[in-house]
Amino acid sequence: MSSPANVSEVDRGSKSTLKILIADDNHSDRLILQTIVKRQNHTVVTAVDGVEAVEKFTEERPDIVLLDALMPRKDGFEAARDIKRLAGEDLIPIIFLTSLSDAESLAKCLEAGGDDFLSKPYNQIILQAKIKAFDRMRKMHSTLQLQRDQIAENNKHLLREQQVAKTVFDNVAHLGCLGAVNIQHLLSPLSVFNGDVLLACQKPSGDMHVLLGDFTGHGLPAAIGAMPLAEIFYGMTTKGYSLANILAEINQKLKAILPVGFFCCACMVELRFEQKEIEIWIGGLPECFLLRGDTLEKIKSNHLPLGILKAESFDTSTYRYEMNDGDRFYMWSDGIIESTSPEGELYGEKRLETMVEQHIRSKELFDTIKQEVISFAGESGPTDDLTMVEVTMIPEQDLGVVSNPQTIATLHGPKQWEFSYRLIDDSLANFDPIPLLLQIVVEVPGLRSFTGQIFTIISELYSNALDHGVLGLDSKLKSGSDGFGKYYRMREERLRKLENDYISIRIMHTGYGEGGRLTFRIEDSGAGFDFSSRMETMAQNNAAVLPANAGTFSGRGISLLSSLCSRIAFEGRGNIAEVDFEWEI
Amino acid sequence: MNSDLPHINESAIDELKEIMADDFALLITTFVADSETRLQEIAEKLEAKDANAFGRACHSLKGSATNVGVVRLAELCRQGEQMGNEVNMDAAPELLGKINEEFILVKNMLNAKL
Repeated sequence: MSSPANVSEVDRGSKSTLKILIADDNHSDRLILQTIVKRQNHTVVTAVDGVEAVEKFTEERPDIVLLDALMPRKDGFEAARDIKRLAGEDLIPIIFLTSLSDAESLAKCLEAGGDDFLSKPYNQIILQAKIKAFDRMRKMHSTLQLQRDQIAENNKHLLREQQVAKTVFDNVAHLGCLGAVNIQHLLSPLSVFNGDVLLACQKPSGDMHVLLGDFTGHGLPAAIGAMPLAEIFYGMTTKGYSLANILAEINQKLKAILPVGFFCCACMVELRFEQKEIEIWIGGLPECFLLRGDTLEKIKSNHLPLGILKAESFDTSTYRYEMNDGDRFYMWSDGIIESTSPEGELYGEKRLETMVEQHIRSKELFDTIKQEVISFAGESGPTDDLTMVEVTMIPEQDLGVVSNPQTIATLHGPKQWEFSYRLIDDSLANFDPIPLLLQIVVEVPGLRSFTGQIFTIISELYSNALDHGVLGLDSKLKSGSDGFGKYYRMREERLRKLENDYISIRIMHTGYGEGGRLTFRIEDSGAGFDFSSRMETMAQNNAAVLPANAGTFSGRGISLLSSLCSRIAFEGRGNIAEVDFEWEI
Repeated sequence: MNSDLPHINESAIDELKEIMADDFALLITTFVADSETRLQEIAEKLEAKDANAFGRACHSLKGSATNVGVVRLAELCRQGEQMGNEVNMDAAPELLGKINEEFILVKNMLNAKL
């Protein structure tokens, strides 16, 4: 990561030939010194007084300066001060050449920025030793500066990266409905880098999900898992998924992406304002407190943290409690109970419990806890992030409209609509419309959780219309030893010869309450079938054993459709099928 | 006490010869020329009764004299520096005479070494 400037700095620091400035107004002294220094393979720059010394320093940037104390125009003390100032952060050792011997004069040299003295008569061995010593010091200094600059640069870089990561995280894990009137929370702005995550979001039903997570570790490794967690939390909550479904999904995702040893202690609740109840799942976090009237109930973690267990062993069982209006639920990361006093004492669960019991009726309990923990930690403040949240049960109408900024579009997705989609000839052969149709349908708020069923219905209806209707293939063809191959050969053949063929799909949705009805009407250009006898069979025997003359419907399709749909009807010559799918969250 | 000092520290001269090699002669002529200028300066400052400048000029000559190993001249200059610093110039004219005498002596001795 070193820039060219840094490289040249290193070169400069490590060369063995130095440039040395000698400033002395005495010609003979200068001559002796110059000769000694040159014999030691250094380059010499000379000056005859202080003014010239400063000029030469600026022009030549010598590595070490030998400076006579008493010189005309500008004495050595003043020149030393100028040179030190011009050198800035670079270490330019200044050795005073002096026959001054009184302590006061020597002190004056040091005050002016001198690093050492050389007394007359000059001794070449002593001078050589001093130059070597100062060269080592100079190299050390430039290495130190280089490393300091690198550390500063790395740190700047790290902060920039954290800022970017935080921006991305904030976009994914916006505050949700943490601003709702029934939520109070404490969360440092950069807490994600301490591994703490706090999310809240309303379901389409108006119920509320709140999740507090504490990832292992610190810094980016701790933050990285927070993004998928938040995305799943918001995505699934706004689509109406249950606590159990969301937790299972988060667990599976974290298990898949986090390295071994990384996981997320979490507590997630669903607050049901209508039913006045709370559902709680807690894995690995400190005990949560449920405050109902004057009673405090501690709710212990009974699961492993998220991201540890495989999907099949993950347990989504929850606690359910009745909660009256005004009852409160508290959850926190271990930053609260692990707060440490200046004397090294832990705040601890016992202290927290005693304090909450003392103030159980107080409306300011949240702030009281916050103040107490902060003052317990003393001047240096808490070492870990303090993350906690208070959720209060309130009458639903008091909640007002809580915004989930990212998901407004989905929340306000269409509920009453219908559309038709018609595929003609070649399009029937080349295009699979099912994912497209599915995507439109699940835009209905809450309907996404029925994606699986809806997919089955659309694909059954469509493949019946295409294979048996348009292409006129009989599923009986598939039986027999080479039937399967023969069936598909015929299918390919007929798909190439489509002319004036079509499939029309019309889908209607009517929403009511927390559910709705989807009607699928599908018409094909095929010959149809005698559905009256087919219907009789269905009435007699719910298991679909097709009579020979009903021919064009596969048994599996009808039985699947009838298990999912509240109504199945055929019209026209048997080329129109209409089914209803009723859903409710 | 200064009469105990040799005019020239011979081992210092030997070391200088070794360091300077071919430039030894240049060093000696430079020293002599420099010192003559300096002596003139010392005389002028005495004339002008500028004790501080007198002291500084003596200090300067002391330094170069020390470096070329003419130790008795250096000691005389040290006394002159002290007089200047203490602004006690009574004995200065007499000292200047001694310095001049000593300089002429060592100049000849040094030239003999070339």
